[in-house]
Amino acid sequence: MRDDVSLSPLSEAASAVKPMASTSARSGTSRRTRELLIALLYCAPALIIFALFTYFPFFRAIFLSLNVTNSAGQPVAFNGVNYYLRVLNLDGSGRVEYLESILTSFKFALMVVPLVIIISIGLALLATVRVRGIRIFRVIFTSSIAISLSSAGLIWALIYNPSTKATTWLVHLLNIPTPSLLGTTSTALPAVAAMTIWAGIGFNFIIALAGIQAIPNEIYESAAIDGAGRWKTFRHITLPLLSPTLLFLIVIGTVGVLQAFTQFHLLIPDSPNTVFVYETYRAFWYDNRYGLASAMSIIIFIILVTLTLIQYRVLERRVHYQ
Amino acid sequence: MSLAAVQKRNDVPYFGLVYLLLIVAAIVLLSPLLFALSLALQGPTIAPDLLPRDFLHLDWNVFINVFQDEPLILRWIFNSFIVATGVTTGVIISSSLFAYALAYFNFPGKSIFLFVALGSLMVPFEATLISNYLFIAQAGWTNTYQGLILPFIASGFGIFLMRQFFLTLPRDLYDAAMVDGCGRFRYLWLVLVPLSRPAIATLAVYTFLNTWNQFYWPLLVTNATEWRTTQVGITVFRNFEGGAVFNTQMAATLIVMLPTLILLVLGQRQLVSGLTAGAVKG
Repeated sequence: MRDDVSLSPLSEAASAVKPMASTSARSGTSRRTRELLIALLYCAPALIIFALFTYFPFFRAIFLSLNVTNSAGQPVAFNGVNYYLRVLNLDGSGRVEYLESILTSFKFALMVVPLVIIISIGLALLATVRVRGIRIFRVIFTSSIAISLSSAGLIWALIYNPSTKATTWLVHLLNIPTPSLLGTTSTALPAVAAMTIWAGIGFNFIIALAGIQAIPNEIYESAAIDGAGRWKTFRHITLPLLSPTLLFLIVIGTVGVLQAFTQFHLLIPDSPNTVFVYETYRAFWYDNRYGLASAMSIIIFIILVTLTLIQYRVLERRVHYQ
Repeated sequence: MSLAAVQKRNDVPYFGLVYLLLIVAAIVLLSPLLFALSLALQGPTIAPDLLPRDFLHLDWNVFINVFQDEPLILRWIFNSFIVATGVTTGVIISSSLFAYALAYFNFPGKSIFLFVALGSLMVPFEATLISNYLFIAQAGWTNTYQGLILPFIASGFGIFLMRQFFLTLPRDLYDAAMVDGCGRFRYLWLVLVPLSRPAIATLAVYTFLNTWNQFYWPLLVTNATEWRTTQVGITVFRNFEGGAVFNTQMAATLIVMLPTLILLVLGQRQLVSGLTAGAVKG
């Protein structure tokens, strides 16, 4: 990546001149101010965008969440934390639909994350075997990364559509009352989860494969000499050495799946039983309740940050870094 | 490697089993795409079969007809290209400048700058969505390229990636160039950028793919059909068709998948290093 041959004469010249350069420095404070101004100039494009589109809207969302808003999104009356109490059913009204959708989000994550990781690690193990044509299989296993959730959603909407007859056998097997898996409350969420798993395999496969390939071959060779079988090698070498990768996949996967929107929008837009992120969309897009929806979006933020910290804390202890 | 290292060379049943598993896995993973292709080729029927009944009379013209049925597909693809290219260019420029200052300049409050950049990764898209939508709507930027591009042209990930790469390049070279009277910007443009091509390529492929596949934001800030991006456009197309004619819908879906599939095949190495940045080493 770097070109040592052409650089080395210059580097030597640099180290020779360095002391001279620093003694010729002007007075400390004005130089530091000048450096800060120059740095600000270089950082300005990103800083302005972060300020306008990340930090300002984030604090505005907190502000809006404490107010009742009109249909144009202007705050009209201070509301305190009432929206938060409303969403979490702490106001004693007994309206639990939002709390239930948070639960649905977690159920969805539990359906998707473990399975997609297990399947991807299995595929990655298969893809490390050196056989003819393995590259083609690797590209196939990676391909879903290039397929947008929107395309995947459209295809799976038709897979689940009774008139294409693709899931008729499953409907019979499960003996559900309607001909559509998406139209039945008990099967809708697992159906969306199946699509999400399919769409997520590409990313998880790439990361798992890179993790496995980063494990030094000598460890396997010495294990083979010691007479360890395939399962023992996997259980006691691959899995522990893969644990940082696993931690990464679990954290990234959970955060990503809890933010899932596209597949719910395309597969079950009218379902009463949907995830929290989609309820937020409904509250703000269809009902124009910007204050309430802002409170919900801040709750999403708190859930994601808390979950990430907990996962790092709890799982970090079990992770084996080389 | 893990399995390969422990296997013996003449392990024929083992290799047979591996091939069988590989082929089954590949077919299962590809089956939704084959399903889409099968539906696309069966003509305008409301009761398609899983596999075409007559493989000799497949309706390949559907891939041309779809452009006549929905001429706006070309416009949607154009929109997506403008947006993805704009965001990618913006991210590369803003990240390189920011990372350059972080890696090479000595200025007070550097850690605050780094915190601001990485802190942006902690704020999820959902938490800023509503305010950003109100901002774009009030600025009159719905159905514009700036509304689709501007919010995404700074990236905490991009800054981190470029900074890590710059730190691997020899610092002495920078000091020497400064002593020789090379301007800071000239050094970035003439030395660092050419040396950083691998990192820039990684960031470019990663950003382009992510932007091309965006759905939620374009759904909010475009409502005129000609301003849709491909991802939103093909779903509008679905509603327009009433969901009754499957062949054109699946043909459109397969067509808009092509650019990213090509990008994946051509830029796989860059993409992999982008995705695994920070993953393997924890």
